[in-house]
Formats: sequence, C-alpha cells, structure tokens
Amino acid sequence: MSGEAIAFYMLAVLAAGSALGCVIATNIVRMALCLLGTLGAVALLYFLMAANFLGVIQLIVYAGGTLILIVFGIMVTSRMYGEKLKPRRSEALIGALVVLALFAGLVAILWRGPWVTVVPTEQPNSVAAIGQALLGTYLVPFELASVLLLAVMIGAAYLAQPAARNGRGTEREE
Amino acid sequence: MTIGLTHYLILAALLFCCGLFVMTTKRNAVGILIGVELVLNAACLNLVAFSRYRVGTIDGQIAALFIIVLAAAEAAVAIAIFVNYYRMLATIDADKGDELRG
Amino acid sequence: MSTIELLLITGVLLPLASFVLLAFVGSKLGKPASGWVAVLAMAASCVLAMVALVQWQGLDAAGRAAARSAPVLWATLGGMPIKFGVNLDSLTLIMFFMVTFVSTWIFVFSVGYMAGHSDEIDGVSKFHRFFTYLSLFGFSMLLLVIADSLLLLFIAWELVGVCSYLLIGYYFHKKSASDAGIKAFVTNRVGDFGFIIGLGMVVLFLGDLSLAGAAEKFHHEFMAGGPLFSRTFCGLSLATWMGMLLFCGAIGKSAQFPLHVWLPDAMEGPTPVSALIHAATMVAAGVYLTARIFVLLTPEAQQFVATIGCITLTLAALVAIVQTDIKKVLAYSTISQLGYMMLGMGVGAWIAALFHLLAHAFFKALMFLGSGQVIEGCHHEQDMRKMGGLIRKMPVTAVTFLVGVLAIAGVGIPAVWMPGHTPFGLGGYFSKDEILAVAWHRVYGENHGENEVAPGAEIQNPKSRIHNAEAAALRPEPRTLNPLLFWIPVLMAYVTPFYMMRCWWLTFMGKPRDHHVHEHAHESPLMYVPLVVLALGTFVSSYYLFRPLVAAAAPHPFLTVSYDGAAAEAAEAHATMISHGAHAALATRVGLAFAVGFVLAWLIYRKGLAVGEKLAVALKPAYTVLVHKFYFDELYGFVLIGGTMALNAISYAFDKFVVDGLVNLSAFVTERLSWFSGMIVDQGVVDGMVNGVGRGTWTLGGLVRSPQVGRIRNYILFAATGVAVVVLWIAFV
Repeated sequence: MSGEAIAFYMLAVLAAGSALGCVIATNIVRMALCLLGTLGAVALLYFLMAANFLGVIQLIVYAGGTLILIVFGIMVTSRMYGEKLKPRRSEALIGALVVLALFAGLVAILWRGPWVTVVPTEQPNSVAAIGQALLGTYLVPFELASVLLLAVMIGAAYLAQPAARNGRGTEREE
Repeated sequence: MTIGLTHYLILAALLFCCGLFVMTTKRNAVGILIGVELVLNAACLNLVAFSRYRVGTIDGQIAALFIIVLAAAEAAVAIAIFVNYYRMLATIDADKGDELRG
Repeated sequence: MSTIELLLITGVLLPLASFVLLAFVGSKLGKPASGWVAVLAMAASCVLAMVALVQWQGLDAAGRAAARSAPVLWATLGGMPIKFGVNLDSLTLIMFFMVTFVSTWIFVFSVGYMAGHSDEIDGVSKFHRFFTYLSLFGFSMLLLVIADSLLLLFIAWELVGVCSYLLIGYYFHKKSASDAGIKAFVTNRVGDFGFIIGLGMVVLFLGDLSLAGAAEKFHHEFMAGGPLFSRTFCGLSLATWMGMLLFCGAIGKSAQFPLHVWLPDAMEGPTPVSALIHAATMVAAGVYLTARIFVLLTPEAQQFVATIGCITLTLAALVAIVQTDIKKVLAYSTISQLGYMMLGMGVGAWIAALFHLLAHAFFKALMFLGSGQVIEGCHHEQDMRKMGGLIRKMPVTAVTFLVGVLAIAGVGIPAVWMPGHTPFGLGGYFSKDEILAVAWHRVYGENHGENEVAPGAEIQNPKSRIHNAEAAALRPEPRTLNPLLFWIPVLMAYVTPFYMMRCWWLTFMGKPRDHHVHEHAHESPLMYVPLVVLALGTFVSSYYLFRPLVAAAAPHPFLTVSYDGAAAEAAEAHATMISHGAHAALATRVGLAFAVGFVLAWLIYRKGLAVGEKLAVALKPAYTVLVHKFYFDELYGFVLIGGTMALNAISYAFDKFVVDGLVNLSAFVTERLSWFSGMIVDQGVVDGMVNGVGRGTWTLGGLVRSPQVGRIRNYILFAATGVAVVVLWIAFV
C-alpha cells in the first residue's frame, strides 16, 4: 500500500466518520463539530490531489469563516423552550430508506462505469494558474461573484439588523 | 490498487448522502444548513477529483472555488434569515415555519 | 511609465484622494476646512498638469512618442484584451490643464459661495458633502480626459453622470432640485443607451476598445470593405450607424437637440455646480468624446453631427433671447455654443471645435461665477428684471462679466487686410470664426484656396503624408454640404452678442429696478478673485496658446483616411490656417456681428425693459413660442406621458369591449347550456354520479394536500426521492 493510499483511507475514514457523526448527533453543537471534521478532512484530500490553493481556501473560508458563522447562528438561536427537536420515527425511517437507495444506486453506477482517466500531472504553480484563469477565462463569473458577495453583505446586514431599527422591514415581511 | 477517481467519487457519494439525510431529518434549521454544507462539499470533492483524474486542467478547481464562495454567501444569508425567524417565532424548528400552508 | 504619464495619473488620483478623505472625515473637518482640502487637491493637480504641459512642450516628436508607454493589460474578456493606459497627446494635456485650472478656481469660488448657504440637514452641517461631490466630479472628468480606451472612457463618463445627478440635486429637500437631478440623469441615460449599443458594435466589428486600436481597425475595415461598410441598415452603412450611436452619448451629455432639455433645469444646482457642469466638465465631456471618436465617424455620421449641432445652436440661441432668469440665459447660451462645437466637429473643423471648447470653458466659467456672485449678492434673486445698475455695487463682477460677454460674442478686429494676417481678438473670436470658416469652405470652397495657405501661420506638422498617392486614391469625389449649415450659424452669430449684451445690460447697467435688491448688493473677495483670474485666463486663452496645442493633437491618420474629399480638404486647410479666401469671405459676413448685436441690444434695453416689452407684445406669437422653449418639455410630456395614458386608454377599451364582451358571451352561452343540461340531464340521471365524483375529489384533494405541509424537510425528502428514483433507474434498468 502506497503512502498516498494510506493517507487517502485515513482521510476518507475521517471525512465519512465525521459525516456520519453529523447524521447521528442530536446536539446541534456536536453536529457543527463533526462538520468541522469533514471540512478539515476534505481540505486535506484537496492537498492530496495537489489542489493546494483550494485546500487552503477550504480551510480559511469554510472551516474559518462559514463554520464560525454557523456556530454564531447556533449561539444566537439556541435558547429554546419546550420539547427537544427530534424527527418523528417514521420520517427518519423513510429518509434513511430513500438515502440508502440513492447511495446504493450511486455506488452501483460508479463501480460499473469504466472511467477514462488521465495520468495526473503535477502542476508546479497552480496558484498562478488559478489566478490567471480567474482574471482571464473566468472573469465574468469572478466579477459576478463579487457582485453577489456585495449583495449578500447588504442583504444579510439588512435582514439581521435589530428589530427596533428595521421596523419597516419586519412589518413588510409579516 | 492505487487511489483513483472511483475512490474519491464513492467518498463524495457517501458525503452527499449523509448531507441529504441530515437535511431531511434534522428539525433544527441550522442543522439543515449543516446538511447543505456537507452536500456542497461532496460536490466540490467531485469537481476536484474529475479535474485531476479526468480532465487534467484546473477548471474543476475554479468551479470548486466558486462553490466555496457561494456556500459562504449562502450561509451568511441563511443565518441572517434564521436570526429573523428565531426572532419572529421564538424557535429554530424548521417545521414551525408553515404559515403559508394552504 | 514616463514622467509625464506619472504626473497625469497623480493628478487624477489627487481629487480621488480628496474625495475619499472628505467622504470619511469630512464632517470632522468642518465648514471651511473641508472646502480647502478639495481646493488644495485640485490646485495640486493643476500644478502637476502645468509641469506636464511644460515638459511636453520641451519634447520633440521622438521624445513625445517615447513618453507614451504601452497600456496595461487589465483583463481578457472573451478573448478580447482590455487594456487601460494614458492617452498621451497635446489634447489630453491641454484639456487636463483646462479642467484642473478652471475647476480649481470654481472650487475656490465655492468655498465663498457655500459659506453663505444654509447647509444643514436635520441640524447637522453637510458642508463637506458639497466638496466631496465636487472632488469626485473632478476625478471622473480627469479620468475621462486621460482615458485611452472607450471602456475606461465610458466608466468615467458614467461617473460624471452620477456626480452631475448628485450635484444638480444637491438641495434634494427641494422638490424642483431633486426633479432636475433625476431629469438630468434620465435624459443622459437615453443618450447613453445609444452609446452602449455603439460600444457593442465597436466590440463586435472592430474587436478593440482602445481608441488607437479601434481607429486602426476601422481604417483597415474601410480598406478591406468589411461588413461594417458593406452592410447597410435603413440605407446607411453600419459604420455610419456605429458613429451615430456613439455620438448619441455626446448628445445626452452635451445637451444637444433633442436631449437638451435637462440642462436649463440643471440650474437648480448651486451656481458653482452650474459653472462646473457648463465649463469644465460635463458638457465638455460630450465634445471631447466626439473629438476622440471622430476617426470613427463616416461622412454621413459627420453630417448627422453637424445637423444636430446646427439645430441645437439655433434653438438655444433663439430661446436665450427671451429668458429673464440670468442663469437660464447662460444655460441656453451654453447649449448654443455647444451646438457650434458640434457643428464644427461635423464639418471637419476638429481643431476649431476643441479650441472653442477650451476658450468657452474659460469665459463660461467666468460668467457663471459672475452670475453666482450677483445672485449671492442680491439675496438669491435670479430675475434680471429686478436687477439693473449693479455696476456701482459690484464693479469687479460687472467688468469681468463684460469680458466674458465680449469673448462669447467674438469680439475682435478682423484684420484681413494686414500682411501676414495678424488678427487681434478674444478666444471666442478666433474659435467661432474658424468653425464658420471651415463650414464655409465645406459649402462653397472646393475650388477655393487650395494652395493659398496664409503666410506666417504656424504649422505644427508638415502634412506631407497626406499628399501621398494612397491618400489621393482613397479620396472620393468631394461632397458639399447643405448651405444652411453655414448660413444658419452665421445668422446665429448675430444673435449671440445680442442676448449676451441684453443679459449684461439688464443686470449691471441702467437704473436699479428693485431697490430692495439693489441695496443689499455686495461683493466678497473670496468670490471675485476667481473672477479676475478667469477673466485674465479668457484673455490668455487665445489663439496663440491653445490653438497650436490642439492642432498638434489633430488625428492625422483620419485626414489621410478620410472618406470624404471635401472634409479632408477643409481639415487640411484649417489644420494649418484658415484658407485666405475663406476667411476673407467670412470677415465680411460675421466679422462685425458682435457690433451689430451689441448695438441692437443697447438700443432696446438702454432705457430698461419698456422697449423690450413692447417688442414682445408686437411679436406675440414668436415670443410665446420662445418663452415656452419651443414647447419641448410640453412635447415630451405629451408624447411620453400622454403616450402612456393613450396606451392605458386603448388597453382599457380593449379590456372593456373585446375581452369583457367575450367573457360575457361565453357566460351567456354557458348559462344557457347549463340550464339545458341542468334541467334535462343532471336532475334526472347524473346527480348520484356527481355526488360520487365530488366525494372522490374531496378525498383525493386531501391526499394531495397532505404532502404540501409547508415543511422544508419534507420538500427536500421529495426531491431526494426523485433523485433516488432517477439514479436507481440509471443504475439498474
């Protein structure tokens, strides 16, 4: 077994285990922690696939940004009164059936298909290549993404502002 | 057996299914968001794997990059909506948001 | 990057820095200080521009070519490289200098002017806001001037539009002011719409947005007879359409007919803003754009430009005669002068038009600031009928304003009889006459003055290249223009001095007509220093300083490429000097126009308003039309608003008679049918069945309704089920 294979299996187990942890956990904070495990494992898998830049971005943006956001969301909304949030048993059962069927189908397809693959080439400077591509071929999506982020920034700030200040906003929503 | 495309794809399928299951069963809205993140990660993993083993260019990485950006944006808006939701209904139970039911 | 380019870029960035500074800490800087920050930044830009200009003048042709560095690749869009750089030539430098110089003094004036205005909104002083906008305005205009690519130019163009909106609507709590801002912006958008389509055509057919590259490709296309020239639309080649569409932007920005309606309303802004818009920035942008895209204009497009200019200058000059608001007179005179510039562009008087732009910038800024001084001194009285006799109270303003009037009227001594043709006059004299001379040449002059280049004229560039064989072969038959394009402007050259002198006389001379206004009139030094400086500038901005610089920037390739023999002839002739014959012919026709206009104005208004009012009564129909500005606002109101209303009415009628009729008819038919079926079929046979079906439907509805519970999770589950089915289908079937 090569080093790559060992690394892959370890990371795969970590990622899949964390994902399953997400599924099993009933506490929302634990779910977030498990998500961190998955995100980290996927980032390491990116490194394994020589997508270094993407791995770093995954760690910074996902693990560092999005996850923190989620944790904040949990903190803000965690004070609950009344019953614990548990799905009905029947729902969980149907969901599990559907998802398992889907997984089985996917695995069947994946096993069966002979994948035409290329020998992976090591790109010495993929960061530079990504930069070039972003400001070249993918300029328009790149700019659109920046516009989207701006819109999200404004929209999120508007939505989440204290109730006292957005009297008009909430009324319209109701 | 060397590690190839199929390994990554199956792992991604597993992550995808876990995410989907989380989305369908968790009643906490933030939990649903976590499920979405899992699904998106699975898609990213697929794209990067294809770009490495199938195409040999970095286009897949770019697409994954955009997904990460969109996921961050989506999470920000979602959390903002949840905060409002919580403020209005005093709960984060996604099942309670059915006022528009016919 | 060469030193000159560095100087210019720094000069552009300084107002931007001032903008950023004022935007963030302007409120802390407080009342006078924030104004001085803007002044300082603009003055520093002006000094840099002067240094750059001096350096440039010291360079020879090779040095100038070396001073231009290659544009920087900014992005690649669909395979087309987008490059930005500095468009370094004499025109850029002189425009840069003019904008910074005039703006600096307008800013200084503003500090004095705005000090006397209430600028509090909700009890918080917003003094800095004005200078924040002014700085942004300055930055946008300077960016526009140095832009070497149509895209960069367009970006700056839109920035200018936004700033004009902000500044015209500066007193936004006043309904009329915010309306005027919106009107200016929306009217400009109409023009910009054409501009954008034109840009799209440039991208599509030329594939290069840089000014030089587009010109080169255009030439190449012309030589090769590409689709741009071979394909036509409505009888005009696509190249013509492209030129006309690009020019649409200039129609909006430079307030040309039919989009001139915003400019008089723009007088709602503070007076320094009017000065800035009318002199250095916004309207100049349109002419500047036309100058830059001139090489992309076919003869037909040029005629379009000339015609638009001619119509504009006529309408505006006539309306200006009857205006009583001092700022409106100036506004219409600006539109009229812009018409002259566009006419000049259209007839091929590229140099003269730009020369007129520069000269106009000085004297119009001067006059606007003068009017601002008057309005400020008279407690916001803008009606000239209530002024009069102000020369005793405001001597400096009166004299400097007179300088502006003389300049715009084209005062000079037409010294055609002197050897070497050494005329004397103010800037407007040379520039306007030169435009007219070229127009004359285009109308009458093919057999005239081919070789009679006036001796002693400074020749910046020997145009030997023009005379090579290729150019001669390219040049088709000369075509002449409609004589109206010469005669109407000449006629209006008599009107200009009339209304300007009327304005001056009514304001400053005669007896005071309103003692209340008269008693309070005063001048303040912070405001008249800029007036004096600009008046001196008006003297200096003459023939000997500006014209050679503009002439050096004339796009030589277009002269050789020019598709039109006569245009090339005329351009050549005036690129060196107006041909002797043309100028002599002109001198006898308009040389003393200013005197005629002045005397006429003096005769009518020396005794106050009485004679003028009698004339207005005598010529009532004409007067009414003019007072209503040829009914343009009413026309647009009627066509746009009325059109919408008419559409409403038609839709309503359609709704009422056709749709309702059909509905009623079908209702009637259904009623009869149901009566029939109800009586005959239903009651007897089907009732039981129907009840069964109804119950079934109810049950089914409940079944279908149950999944629609409004729970997101369930929806996700349904979607997942769908996906699973598809995947299983693919996997196992």
